[in-house]
Amino acid sequence: MEQPMVTMANVAYTWPGGTRTLGPLSATIASGHFVGLIGPNGAGKSTLLKLIAAFWALDAGQILVDGESVSRLSAPERAKLIAFVPQTLDTQFDLTVKEVIELGGINRRSWRDRWAFQGALLAERLDALLATTELTELKERPFNTLSGGEAKRTLLAAALAQEAPVLLLDEPTAHLDPGHALKFLNLVRHMVDTQKTTVLMAYHDLATVGLYVDTLWVMDQSQLVLQGPPDEVLKNPAIQQIYDARLLEISHPRAGRSMLIFP
Amino acid sequence: MARAGRSTLNFAGALLALLFVLVLGVMHGPTPIPFHTVVDRLVHPNQGLTSVIIWDIRLPQIVAAALVGGGLAVAGAVMQALLKNPLADPYIVGASAGAGLGATLAQELVPLLNMMAPGAFLGALAAVLLSYLLSRGRGTTSMLTLILAGYAVGVILTSVTTFLMLMNREDLSTIFAWEVGGIDGVNWTQVAVSAGLMIIALIVIWPFATDMNALLLGEEQAHHLGIPVRRVQFILLIAASLLTAAAVYISGLIGFVGLVIPHIVRRLNGPNHRQLLPLAFLVGGMFLGLAELLAESIPVIGPIPAGLVTAFLGGPYFLYLLVKQNQRKGGFA
Repeated sequence: MEQPMVTMANVAYTWPGGTRTLGPLSATIASGHFVGLIGPNGAGKSTLLKLIAAFWALDAGQILVDGESVSRLSAPERAKLIAFVPQTLDTQFDLTVKEVIELGGINRRSWRDRWAFQGALLAERLDALLATTELTELKERPFNTLSGGEAKRTLLAAALAQEAPVLLLDEPTAHLDPGHALKFLNLVRHMVDTQKTTVLMAYHDLATVGLYVDTLWVMDQSQLVLQGPPDEVLKNPAIQQIYDARLLEISHPRAGRSMLIFP
Repeated sequence: MARAGRSTLNFAGALLALLFVLVLGVMHGPTPIPFHTVVDRLVHPNQGLTSVIIWDIRLPQIVAAALVGGGLAVAGAVMQALLKNPLADPYIVGASAGAGLGATLAQELVPLLNMMAPGAFLGALAAVLLSYLLSRGRGTTSMLTLILAGYAVGVILTSVTTFLMLMNREDLSTIFAWEVGGIDGVNWTQVAVSAGLMIIALIVIWPFATDMNALLLGEEQAHHLGIPVRRVQFILLIAASLLTAAAVYISGLIGFVGLVIPHIVRRLNGPNHRQLLPLAFLVGGMFLGLAELLAESIPVIGPIPAGLVTAFLGGPYFLYLLVKQNQRKGGFA
C-alpha cells in the first residue's frame, strides 16, 4: 500500500494556560486526497492546521508529511512540502500582488537568488499563477487595497508558488460572496485533480463542503470525532448534536451528494 | 499605480542627488571652492591649501555624513520590518541609551583619551543585546516584548547616564553636545572604521531582503513561506544594531533619519526591500549630507549640530505624513 502523504500519530497539544488539550488524535491523508475539516467554532480546526504546518510544537506524538517529521525539517524544506493559506492577513505595508506571490518562491531560492535584485520566482511561473488565479490585471496593485476575494486568491497563488504537495486551507471562503467562493473551491479541486495536490481544508459551510471533498473529518471539543466519505458523515445524526442544531439533510438536485442546510 | 519602470528612474535620481550633495559639500564652506577647482584637486591631489581643505576637511566630512545618513536609513528600514511597525527607528531597542551611557562612561573614566565614540559604539551594541536576552522566552522572542524590554533598558541606562552627568557637571556640555549628534572634525580613519563596520552589516543584511518582505506579512505567514523566523529576526537585529552603532561611532545620536527616510522611500517606490534598502541608503546619505550643509550655513555663533537640523526638518515632515495617512484612511505607506 502507498504511504499516506500526511500521517498524524497520537498527536497532542496543550494550549498555553494548560487547561485545554487537543487530541491525542491519529489520522492519515492519502496522496492527492481532498479532506474537509468541519466542526463548531473553537473545535480546534485551525490549531490542527498550525500543528501540521509546525507553527506550534507538538507536546506528544508526531506528524509526518511525505515520510518526514515536520518538526525536524528546516524551514525551507518544510515549505517545499506544505503550503498554507491563512484565514485573514493584514499588513500595514503595501506590497504588490506580484511581490506577495513571489514570496512563494522563497523556499526554493539559491544563494545566488538571495544576492540578486530580482525575486526568486521565474517570470513565466509568475505569469502562469496570475492567470490561474485571475490576477493578471491586478499584479501591480497593493495587497492591502484588494477585496476579500482578490486577497484570498493572491494568498492562494503564493501558496501554489511554493509547489508543495500538501496544501492547508483555513476557511478559505470565509467573507467571500458565493461567486468568489465557487471559483476558489473549483480552483482548489482543479489542483487536486490535475496536480495530485493533497488538501486539508478547515471549512464552515455544510451545504457546499460535500460537493468538493473526498473525505470529511469532524472535530468537536479538540478531538477528531468522525471521519468518512462526506455523504456518510453528513447523514450521521451525531452531526446534529455536535452543532447543537437541527439541520436538514438533502441531496444536491444535480450532483446527488449530501448537503446540510437550515431547516 | 505601476511601480515597475519607476524604480530604475528612482535609483538614477537618488544616485544623482547623492553625487550632487557630495560635490556641493566639497564646494561649500567658509571659503567657497569653485566646481572646476574641486574636480581638478580631486584628480590631482597635493596642490597646496585647497587640496588640504578638500581632502582632509570637507571630503571626509561630507562622506561621513552620507555614510551615517545611509546607514541609519537602512537600519531604520530593517527595524521597521522586524518589528512590523512603521514607527520603529534604529534606536528603538535601547541603542541610543546604550550609546549615551557608553560615551558618558568613556568620558568619565578616561577623559584624556577621547574615547567617547568607541564607548558609544560598544554601549549601543551591548544595550541591544541586553534587551534581546531579556526578552527571550522559552526559545522564543516576541517582537512586542523586545520593544518593551528595549524601552525599559533605555530608561534605566538613561537614568544612569543622567546621574553620571550630574555628578560631573564640568563634562555636561561635552556629553550633551555629543548626544545631539553632528558630524564635525571627522578624519579618514574614523570614516574608514565606520565604513568597514557598515559594509559587514550590509553584507549580512542584503541576502535577507526578501525575507523582510515576508516578515511584513506577519511572523506566521513568514513561517509558512519557509523562513526560519526567529533566526532571521536575530541576525537582522544584530546586523541593524551594528549598522546603527557604526553610525553613532561617527556622529553621536542623529535622530529622524532612520525613521523618516524609509517612509519617504516607501511612498516613492513601495515597500519591497530589494529596492527599499539600497534606495534608503542613497536617500538617507543625501538627506544627512544636505542637513550637514545646512547646519554649516546657518549664521549663528559656532556650528549647529546636524542632528538638530534633521530633527527640525524631520519632525514636521513626519507629522505631515501622519496627518496625510489619517486622511487617506489606511495603513502607513
